[in-house]
Amino acid sequence: MKTVEKIVNPVKRAGEESPGKIYNEKLKVRGRREWRGLKDTLYDYSRWLYLISVLGRFIIVPRNVKGFFRYRWMMSYLFVPHGMDKFTIGLRDEALRIAHTSFNFVIADVTQAIANCFRGDRRVGNDKAYSDKCVITDENSMVTFMMGFDKEKVHTILREVPTMFASNIFHQFNVMHYLDIAQQYGIPGDVCPMPEAEAGISIDDDFCVLGCCAVQNNTTCDGSLMGNGIIAKRLEREYGIPTFQLATPLRHKEPDVLEYAAREIKKAIAFVEEHTGEKWDWDRYFAAAKRVNDATRCRIAQLEINSTPYPQFFGAAFSLYNDTNYMGNSGRDPQFVKIDHKLLALAEQGYREKRMYAKEYRHRAIVWGVQPQYIIDQLYWLLQCWGVMPLADMLSIINTDMIADEDTPANREQAYRDMAMLNMEMIMRNHTHGGYKVLLDDLWELCEKMNADMVMMWEHMSCKALTGMHGMFEEQARERGIHIMWVSHDLCDPRVFTRQAIRDQVNTYMRTVMREEPLDPSLEVIPDSEAY
Amino acid sequence: MKKKVLNVLLKLLLKLLIAAVAFFVVTFTVYIFNLDMKATSLLAPYLEKWYDKLPRKQYI
Repeated sequence: MKTVEKIVNPVKRAGEESPGKIYNEKLKVRGRREWRGLKDTLYDYSRWLYLISVLGRFIIVPRNVKGFFRYRWMMSYLFVPHGMDKFTIGLRDEALRIAHTSFNFVIADVTQAIANCFRGDRRVGNDKAYSDKCVITDENSMVTFMMGFDKEKVHTILREVPTMFASNIFHQFNVMHYLDIAQQYGIPGDVCPMPEAEAGISIDDDFCVLGCCAVQNNTTCDGSLMGNGIIAKRLEREYGIPTFQLATPLRHKEPDVLEYAAREIKKAIAFVEEHTGEKWDWDRYFAAAKRVNDATRCRIAQLEINSTPYPQFFGAAFSLYNDTNYMGNSGRDPQFVKIDHKLLALAEQGYREKRMYAKEYRHRAIVWGVQPQYIIDQLYWLLQCWGVMPLADMLSIINTDMIADEDTPANREQAYRDMAMLNMEMIMRNHTHGGYKVLLDDLWELCEKMNADMVMMWEHMSCKALTGMHGMFEEQARERGIHIMWVSHDLCDPRVFTRQAIRDQVNTYMRTVMREEPLDPSLEVIPDSEAY
Repeated sequence: MKKKVLNVLLKLLLKLLIAAVAFFVVTFTVYIFNLDMKATSLLAPYLEKWYDKLPRKQYI
């Protein structure tokens, strides 16, 4: 089997040695916050104050209070600091700053998204002029077709992000109510709980109602196709919001699908122009394309740092930032550029200092499969408890090609193909669909490039996209001498696999197959399965 | 006159310092003992009941 050199951290961790002591089984939140040494505790405290100020500024607006008491999912946002703490366990120095810089920005962005939803919502703010310039899109959707519109005049509302996806990050039980509602109305329980919950929110009449039109995307699975139908029916027939179906090819590595996908993008742009009355602006598009390329260059540099013995980018906070930047932003907001470079500068500094974030690095792992790591603190736990460094995850392995960013007649045609390519290779679709090459071959190439000896393979019980490949993963990992650790979960339904049931699979593998003892035994069993 | 102004300024500075220290002590205590989230978790069951009572137009 492949092995990697074990690296022992020569520096003693500042503050408390074991974060396992902060959990309390009698509470639904942690007993206290982690003591990280004076410097890092004060830094973490200052970021906590910042988050409180973001939430405070949001809730002093009367229409946001009205929205808070109207929508059940808003309760999750009471637990934003709890969610942030989940993504910083055991972290110090640059990694702590990277987690806060990236995820605090995401939180501020989501808070603004909720405020925008409430402003236009017919039940809450009812600002009709604003709503008439809003385009609703899916949670799991690239917004490349909005890159050429003035974001001050046409507002892209990823309505499902604050409603389902982000709210579930802060409160693991948040979507159970919507899953129950969907199943009460006859939806089977064996589809992915993410689109099922979104369908449940629509059935339960718990989405904000706004927008002059909507664009839906055939995302990745049977669940999302089913959910889109239910949501579109309500949008169009009850609320009179016309909905465009952006049909994107799934076999995105086949060259002959590109022209069709580009035509779909053209149609989506024409649809938005027709309903908003605003025109596509090529200057704006190519300015956004330059920012997309800049973000891509930063991402490549991040991966290079992680391929060294001293990785600096890891964990769910960072991959959530990548998701937001790549899909939800797509170069439209210049603020992301500043954050990208700040994150890279922090990582370069950490790399120069040879900074390590656990007592030992025993294994280097690629995290593959459909991941629930936003809902639990698995990646940080994996490092702190077992010394397994998660180097990259499937959802963060996205496009590394540059797109045309100079305005020429030829590039205007190329631009449609670029937008189509980004859309086809959006997060989730880029590896769960597209065939053998993107799911298996890409993984082994990545293991080679990142010098990984282990794959933590998330096995999502309700995801049909990957289940058929189980045997092939096993067989090919064996051929390459890569340790493959299967970890089952059911994404956002914690009744199927609790947090501890998920961790126990790793504990069992590490003890029985790897014959290892944990770095921090206090973390092996954590009483947080009932915590928010 | 100068001394009087200086005294007023010093008193003001002292008050600001006391306010800043008090702010730090209170907020840091809330932060380190996770009192914000503990209070929120007590509130959550009542909010759930509130949301359960709201009329909804449920259909598929």
